[in-house]
Amino acid sequence: MTEARHAGMSSAPTPLPHSESGSPAAEMDPVEYTLRKRLPRKLPKRRNDVYVNMKTDFRAQLARCQKLLDGGGHREICVHGLGLAINRAINIALQLQAGSQGALQLAANTSTVELVDDLEPEDPDESGEPMTRTRNNSAIHIKVFYPEP
Amino acid sequence: MSASKVKMRDRKMKNQPASVQYSSPSAAAGSSSQNGRQEAKDSGWQRNPPPRTGWVRGYQRDGGGGYMTEMPKYITAGAFARSRAAEVKAMLKAVTKRTGSNHVFQALPKHMRRRAMSHNTKRLPRRLRDVASKMREKSLQAGSKKKKELAKSKSRKARRRHGNLLLEFNRRQRKNIWLETHIWHAKRFHMVKKWGYCLGDRPTCKCYRPCYRAMSSHCLLLDISYYCCIELRGEEDTLLTALSQLTSKETGPTFAAALCLSGCRQGSVTVYRAGQYPSHPLGPVTFLWRPRAEGSASRQLWIWAHPALKQDLLPELQRVCECFEAVVPPVIPVATPAESASTLESEPKPEVSPKAKVTPGGKRKRSRVDAGGPPAKKILGDGTRSPDTPVTWKSSSSGIVINDLTMEMVRYRLVGPQSHSVLTETLEAATDCDEAGQSQASSLWWPQHCRDERKMNLHQQQAEVFNTLKGIYSSGEVPPGTVLGLTVDDPRLTLPAKKVKAMPSVNQSQEADEEKRRQLMLQGVPQLCSQSCLWEQSVRDNVTENKISEQELNRMRSELLVPGSRLSPTPLQGRIPILLVHQPGKQVGNDMSSWGAGWDLLLPKGWGMAFWVPLVYRGVRIAGLHMSLKRSQNQGAPHFPHDYPDCPAGIRFQEEQEAELLDKFKRRPPAKRTNYIKHGCLAPFRCPWQQLVEEWELLTRQRGDGQARSTTKPKEEEMTPQPDHAGTKPQSGFTVVRSRKSLRLLSAWCKLPTSRGQRPGRGGGAPPLQQSAADAFLASHRMSVAWVRLSLLSKGKPELHAMVCAPTPEDLKLLGKRDAGTCPQEPPHRDDFKSKTRRRKKSSKTGAGPLQSSDYPGTEASEPSVDAEPDLVLGVWPDPLPSITSHCSRVTLGWVTEGDFSLSAGCGEALGFVSVAGLLNTLLSQPEEHRGKVLLRNPSSLHYRFAQINIEV
Repeated sequence: MTEARHAGMSSAPTPLPHSESGSPAAEMDPVEYTLRKRLPRKLPKRRNDVYVNMKTDFRAQLARCQKLLDGGGHREICVHGLGLAINRAINIALQLQAGSQGALQLAANTSTVELVDDLEPEDPDESGEPMTRTRNNSAIHIKVFYPEP
Repeated sequence: MSASKVKMRDRKMKNQPASVQYSSPSAAAGSSSQNGRQEAKDSGWQRNPPPRTGWVRGYQRDGGGGYMTEMPKYITAGAFARSRAAEVKAMLKAVTKRTGSNHVFQALPKHMRRRAMSHNTKRLPRRLRDVASKMREKSLQAGSKKKKELAKSKSRKARRRHGNLLLEFNRRQRKNIWLETHIWHAKRFHMVKKWGYCLGDRPTCKCYRPCYRAMSSHCLLLDISYYCCIELRGEEDTLLTALSQLTSKETGPTFAAALCLSGCRQGSVTVYRAGQYPSHPLGPVTFLWRPRAEGSASRQLWIWAHPALKQDLLPELQRVCECFEAVVPPVIPVATPAESASTLESEPKPEVSPKAKVTPGGKRKRSRVDAGGPPAKKILGDGTRSPDTPVTWKSSSSGIVINDLTMEMVRYRLVGPQSHSVLTETLEAATDCDEAGQSQASSLWWPQHCRDERKMNLHQQQAEVFNTLKGIYSSGEVPPGTVLGLTVDDPRLTLPAKKVKAMPSVNQSQEADEEKRRQLMLQGVPQLCSQSCLWEQSVRDNVTENKISEQELNRMRSELLVPGSRLSPTPLQGRIPILLVHQPGKQVGNDMSSWGAGWDLLLPKGWGMAFWVPLVYRGVRIAGLHMSLKRSQNQGAPHFPHDYPDCPAGIRFQEEQEAELLDKFKRRPPAKRTNYIKHGCLAPFRCPWQQLVEEWELLTRQRGDGQARSTTKPKEEEMTPQPDHAGTKPQSGFTVVRSRKSLRLLSAWCKLPTSRGQRPGRGGGAPPLQQSAADAFLASHRMSVAWVRLSLLSKGKPELHAMVCAPTPEDLKLLGKRDAGTCPQEPPHRDDFKSKTRRRKKSSKTGAGPLQSSDYPGTEASEPSVDAEPDLVLGVWPDPLPSITSHCSRVTLGWVTEGDFSLSAGCGEALGFVSVAGLLNTLLSQPEEHRGKVLLRNPSSLHYRFAQINIEV
C-alpha cells in the first residue's frame, strides 16, 4: 500500500477514544447535552485490509492476519488501528513478524482521522440547535509484507 | 341381534310392502279376523309387540306350537280373495322394484356381466339397452346440472384476461387493503392479513441470514406503505398548543423541537392521551413538518403512525384540535382541472366499510390514455372504504384541518449502509423541460413548475445535495432524521437490463466536493432543500393521474431507433416529487452504533411499482414484517405493537398473540405438548404485567420484614387478572417508564461500576445506588415496568416469554467460578391439574356420550362443567394464577417480549420488561461486581441462564 490513507476504520465497531479531556466537552454541561458519537468515516476495503478493534479477541485477530498471509495468498496485508486500538495494531504486527522468523517486514504510517460527534440538547424546545462538532484522532496503518526477493 | 344387523334389515325392508312380511306365528294367531285387518292397515302386524324382533325365516319351533294350534274355523271368501289379491299385487310390485343401487346390469346374473358395461351400453344384452341408455341420459343430465353451478368460473384463459383479472383483484381488495406492490409480494412472500392490510410476512425463500447481511452491509428494502399518514394544517401556535397535550418533554423532544419544527428533520415522539402523561400512552409516531413557506403562518404537519395505532390516535387528535366537523368529500376543492369526479371519490377514509361494492372509492384511471378502455380500473389507495366516508375534519374555533392521508402516499424503507448508493443509482434528478414544453399550455405540473425561476433554483440545489450523497460511504454518516425533497425522473427509464448491485463510488474527489460532503455530514441538508412538491395535494393527484402506463412506455421504447437506448427526450409526465427521509440507525448503547441506518422514500400513490422494480434491480434484498421486527431488535429499539404492553394497541396485540399461541398449543396431541406446569411456567402465552407490578408493590411494602420472600397474596389480587377487557378503555394500571431522566438513573444503576463503556465524568451525575435513593425513585414509579435489553453471558437462546428472574447469592457464586456448564436449575414442579384434567375428560366421555368423545381436553371448556375451573388445558395453568413472583425457586422480575440469537452481538439477546420495584430490589441486594446480573429461563426449559441487564437511553 503506497498512498497514505486519510481515514480509515471499517467493519466492526471501532473503538473510540474514551476521554478527550482537553476538548470542548469540558465547557459543556453534561446534563444539558447528550453526546452521541458517529461512526468514523468508512472507506471501501480490500481483502487484505484488517481493521483492528478492541472488542474482538486479540488472538482471533492475530489468527486472521496470519491466515491471510499464509493461506490467503496475499504477499502483504495492511493492519489499521484507530485511537485506543493503535496499541493493539502494533502488537499484532509485531507478533506476526516475530512468528515469521524474520521473513516479514513492517512499514508503519500514521494519519489523523476526523471524527464527528452530535450533541443533542436535553431540553430541545428551549435551547434549540443541536450541535455537531468534529475532533481528530490518531490512526496507524501498518503494512506487513514479505520483501520482494 | 346386533344393532347393525337390525339396521341392515330395516334398510332392506324399507321399500317392501308390509303384507309380504312374515308375521310371527303368535301374531298371526292373535285374532281370527287378521286377514281383514291387514287389508285395512298394512302395518297391522306391527301392532302387536313382536315377541322376537329377529329376522327370522321359516318355521319356528318355539313360540308355542306354530301353525297347528289354532287354524281359522272358517274363511270369508270375498275378504280372503281381496286380501290375497292385495298381497299378490304387493309382491309383483316388490319384484319389479330394485333396491339398492340402480345399475341396469345388476339385473344380470354375474356370469353375464362384462367389464365397462355402464360405460358402453352395447355390452349389455339388447333387452336391457333401452333402460340403460335412458338411465345414462338421466345421470348425465343430473351431472351437467351440478357442473353448471361450478361452471361460473370461466376458463383459466378467460380469468387471466386483463380486464377480468382486474375485476377479480378489485373484488379481493374490498376487505383488506392491498399495497401497490401486493402482486409482486404475493408471488414471493407468505402473506398475512393484519390491521386491515395484506402484508408480506417473510419471503418464501430461505433468506434470514442474507437479509441480515443486507441490513448490515448493503441494503434491505421494505414496503411500509401501510403506515398511516395524518395531515394537520393550521397556525403553528395553535397546532403546537393542541399537540403539546399529547406529549411530555420528559420523554424527549416533542412536536415543538426546534430542528424538527424547521422541517429539515424528522422527529419521533410517544403520544399519550391528552394530558394524561405518564399513564395512558397511545404509541410512538414519527412526524414531519413542512418547511415554512415565506409569508404564511399556516403550517402543515404529517404524523405517521402504525395502522394499529391509528384508531386510537385519530379521535385523540380530533379532540385536542377540536376538529369535529367532518367535511363531506365532494366539498373538497380540487385544484387541478385535470381531476375529474373520480378524484373526489378517491378521497381517503378512515373507517373500513365493506359496503363499498359496485363503485369502490379510490378507483382511478391509471392514465388518461386508457380512459376509454375496459370499465374496470385499478384501485389506487384505499379500496375498502366507501367514497362518502369523511376523511377531513375541520374546526371552526381553531382553524385546524385534519386530513387522513392513509394510502395516499407510498413509503419504502431502505435499511443498510449502502441504501444511499441504491437511491443515487436508481433516481436521477428531474431534467428541465425545454422551451417548447414550457410554452405549451398543459395540465401537467412540471412545465408550470419550470416556469418559476425560484422553484428551479431550489430544484438545482436539491439536485446538488442529492449528488453529494454519492460521495459518502455509509448512510449512517448523515445527521439522523435528515429530510431531502427532490423531483426525479421516472426511474423506469433508467432500468438496467440486468440486475446489478449498487456499490458506493467513493473516490478522492475534488476539494469542492469534499467541502460539500463535509457540510452534508455536519449540518445535514440545508433547510431550504427539505421542501418538496409532494406536500401539495394537487401536485400529488396530478402526478398520479398522469402516470404513463407500462404498456405505453414499452410502446415508446419499441419505437426507439436503437433498441435498448434511453428514451429521449424524457416524456413530460415522468417527473415525480419525492421526499427522502433519513432513518437513524442504532442510537443507544456503545456497540454497533448507527447499525441499520437508512432512508425512507416517500412517493405519490400510483407510482409504487414504477419505483419498486428499479430498486429491486439494484441488488437490494426484500423483506417483510418478520425482518422489520428483527431489525428493531438488533437496533435495540422497541417495535410497535410488540413492545408497548401499556398501549391499547399493545394490549390488543397481546390478546391476539395469546389466542394464537394457545391455539397452536392445543393443536398438538396432549401427549406431545410441553407441560408448562411442570416447568413452573405460569403464563407461557402472555405476560400478566398488571399482576406482576401489583405483587411487587406489595412486596416492597412488606420489605420491612426483611427478605423479599413473598407470602400468599390476598385474594383481591387474583381477582384482577391482567387481560384488560378489550374494547373498553385500557384499565392497565401499570406504565412503562419512558421518562429520560428516570431511565438514565436506572441505566447507571444497572451498569457494572467497572464497565468499560462508562465515562467517569457522566456516571458521576447519578446518585450512587442506595436504599434511600431507590426508595425515592420507587415513590414515583411504584407501578412501572422498565424496558430492558438482556444479553446472555453464556450459551442459550432466549425465547418469547422467557422469565427474567433474580439470582440468589448462591447462584452468583456459581457465576464467579466461570464454569460455563453450570447454570442453576429449577426443580421440576408437580402438575396437580393433570389428574383433574384426566378425570374430567373421562367423566365427560362416559357421561355425555359420543358427542364429546372427539374433543380434546382443551375444548371441554365449552361444556357445562361441575368443576369450578372454566378452562382446563393440559399443561397450562388455569386462569386465576397463583403468586407469580414466588412461584419458582427464583423470584420473577419480568418477561422477555422478543428474544433470539443476535447475529450482530454473537450471543443470545432478549428484549423484555422488568418490574422497576423488582429490579431495584435485586440490584440493591447484589454485590458490586455482579451488578445487573439476572437469570433468564425459557418457558419450556428448567435451566436458568445468566444474563446482563442493560437499560439504554
